[in-house]
Amino acid sequence: MSLDNKPIYTGGCQCGAVRFRVEGALTNVSVCHCRMCQKAFGNFYASLATAPGGGLVWTRGEPKRFRSSNHVLRGFCAECGTPLTFEAPDGVALAIGAFDHPEEVAPVIQWGIEAKLPYVDGIPSLPGEPTEADMTSAPYLSDLVSYQHPDYDTEVWPPKREETR
Amino acid sequence: MSRFAVLPIEMSGGCQCGAVRYHATRFTDNAHLCHCRMCQKAVGNLFAALVGAPKDAVTWTRGTPARFRSSAHVDRGYCRDCGTPLFYDNLEGDRISFTIGSLDEPVRFKPRTHEGIEGRMPWFFELDAINEGHATEFESEDWAAAIKASSRQHPDHDTDVWPAAGEASR
Repeated sequence: MSLDNKPIYTGGCQCGAVRFRVEGALTNVSVCHCRMCQKAFGNFYASLATAPGGGLVWTRGEPKRFRSSNHVLRGFCAECGTPLTFEAPDGVALAIGAFDHPEEVAPVIQWGIEAKLPYVDGIPSLPGEPTEADMTSAPYLSDLVSYQHPDYDTEVWPPKREETR
Repeated sequence: MSRFAVLPIEMSGGCQCGAVRYHATRFTDNAHLCHCRMCQKAVGNLFAALVGAPKDAVTWTRGTPARFRSSAHVDRGYCRDCGTPLFYDNLEGDRISFTIGSLDEPVRFKPRTHEGIEGRMPWFFELDAINEGHATEFESEDWAAAIKASSRQHPDHDTDVWPAAGEASR
């Protein structure tokens, strides 16, 4: 919370070259199944939350943008590719997975349902395994060293002691 | 060797802007969602949706993907022009995992499992109960028509020439 009780959110891309801060309530927290969002995110759907007007600040770097149609820009990190924004005339929406605490940003509505993939509603019934369960087929996971930016703001990034990437 | 059966599916895919296109002549039968925090962040989403293809079955037919080494053993591929996440590549493995949404026919890769469930959103299973809003056309026909008329997204099939002749300069 800020001093005037506005919620604060932070987030950024996987490599940490781009970081953002939002002050104020998020709106239209949603998933969008339309084929343009599917393709832009390489996924079954996009998950997005609209920042309040004037409440979004880029605190490190800034996204590169692709104009996907005359009205819309799609922002992403040029260094690692993480999709970051959907920018329309009525506001800037941020990718939920890029937030440091995406669990605080639960979608409340679905858009673009004309393109909803027919198997999406069956996803909850699929079997599941934690990452560690994959050690036998992917033994490299046991000594994995992540180069991902942590889920909080950092004064310096990447860390100085780190070897060259 | 892969522990998964190989599917005799042949399909192309690529990024939103069409600068990068690929083609695979076989896929592994392992379509899945990965909820681990690294996949979430790489694709800016609640999970990554991935399906493997044997590396010797893959051809890059247009452009070259950019790569970010997210850990010592793994590259994340994406389009440097439009940002579409394209793949997860275990550099020591014999298969590459494509993002299902980047394939031309994602409908043919129904996921089989959830992986990385330690990172799964606590409300993930409530998503199918949230308000099913509207089709893109519903809210504003003008909006949807304008997007359709001006979309710069590559179509869901291979093209001989792209961007299409006559299109405004990009």
